[in-house]
Amino acid sequence: MTTEHTATGKPYVHYHAAHCESGVTSAFFRDKGVDISEPMVFGIGSGIFFGYLPFLKAAGMRVSTFRSQPGAIFRKVARRLDGDFVVKTYRNPQKGMDELRRVLKTGQIVGLKTNLYWLPYFSERFRFNFSGHNLIVLRETKEGFRISDPTLEHPVDCPAADLERARFARGPMESHGYMYYLKSVNPHPDLRQACIKGMIDSCNLMLRIPLPIFGIRGIRFQARKIIDSPDKLGFNEACRLLADVIRWLEDTGTGGAGFRYMYAAFLQEAAELLRSAELAGLSEEMTAIGHDWRKFSLAATRIIKQRKQFEQTFAEAGGLMHGCADREEKFFKNLRKVAGKMKV
Amino acid sequence: MKVNEVPQDITYYEGEKRACYALNDEGKYVVVKSTGWEAEDIANGLAVTELAAHLEETRKAVLEGKKSPLCYHMERRQMNADILGKSAGIAVFRVKRHFRPENFSKLKASVLERYAQALAVSLVELKTVPPSSQGR
Repeated sequence: MTTEHTATGKPYVHYHAAHCESGVTSAFFRDKGVDISEPMVFGIGSGIFFGYLPFLKAAGMRVSTFRSQPGAIFRKVARRLDGDFVVKTYRNPQKGMDELRRVLKTGQIVGLKTNLYWLPYFSERFRFNFSGHNLIVLRETKEGFRISDPTLEHPVDCPAADLERARFARGPMESHGYMYYLKSVNPHPDLRQACIKGMIDSCNLMLRIPLPIFGIRGIRFQARKIIDSPDKLGFNEACRLLADVIRWLEDTGTGGAGFRYMYAAFLQEAAELLRSAELAGLSEEMTAIGHDWRKFSLAATRIIKQRKQFEQTFAEAGGLMHGCADREEKFFKNLRKVAGKMKV
Repeated sequence: MKVNEVPQDITYYEGEKRACYALNDEGKYVVVKSTGWEAEDIANGLAVTELAAHLEETRKAVLEGKKSPLCYHMERRQMNADILGKSAGIAVFRVKRHFRPENFSKLKASVLERYAQALAVSLVELKTVPPSSQGR
């Protein structure tokens, strides 16, 4: 927690968050005086998800996403909590930067979607070509911009030229200078209904999308791919496939086990808010599912590390993933029932 | 996961710490700062070393005169011909042609300028590759 200020001198408190977009959204609401934690934002915005998108590559990495598409969490939370928000994209970089400066001068904090590769304050290892990193710009300084990146412990400085590149980088999932901010919020939002809406939406996303690459079916699809991979792709390529999954699961700022722990934290808060013992039980189940995902990560890294010695464990790793899918299917069906009962 | 079970294996975030969610003694979720987990390091390390190895191969090919320096700088920026073409405003088939040293050496200054702009390197850098491999 570090205190900063915006262009008009209004104090801003920087919180360290696990995930970029939920952290940014939570910071927006805290800035406007509504104290919502990161897991709460993640749950209300229906962040939990699974999708396997082998046709989409970020820096040669096949995309397996454990959260909903970039931008969705902010929009959903703002809508469900009755906030007035602005989302804009630009064709012309100059216009985009001018507009950013204009909004910052009014004392507003602004969220941006940027490309990780061009952000100089990250260490080289984490800078890969992925256009989907969210951050908050606090104010303009002499050298560039003061940035509160929720995945870092402290606010940082970023030169203007680098930020412009990061905002307008070309490639898959281009952000086109995607910029968003909250104009105003309802000071007393109906958190209970928002939580229930978020939960039901998540259940539908996980269980009811009629495509084999999303939700529970997506997990099973990927598990099958992993089991088949050593025969179809060869050992090295199969290892790469596994490494890609683990990177999306653990390495990309998920709060552990592909957001599953964060979702358990949300359910715990929601259980208190809605005074529901059933939700508390589901939170424990989600924690256990998180443990299962961790087991999968461990098994997978063992395969990568040992190289040729453990060829049979691809089936084991896939089996662990199938186990996660079965458990999550049961979990979301239960959650749907519990949330449905509470809906008014 | 309990607070004291949060992996604190390695400090490969280079001084930075990452937020994780874990249960405290009373069974409540709290944010815990983690210095890294071995599993992440292995997965990330595999990708990083592969990128570096590939870049080194390209660098050697450039020195042998099989590829143009443009190819090296593109890979250094983790781009492919498609992304570079879009960034520089040059058609992909032309970009691919410019990977051949004989075509690259004949390029006009204005085209080179656009590549240099897109790759964030200077004109001098664009025409050369570093003599020894760089740690990424």
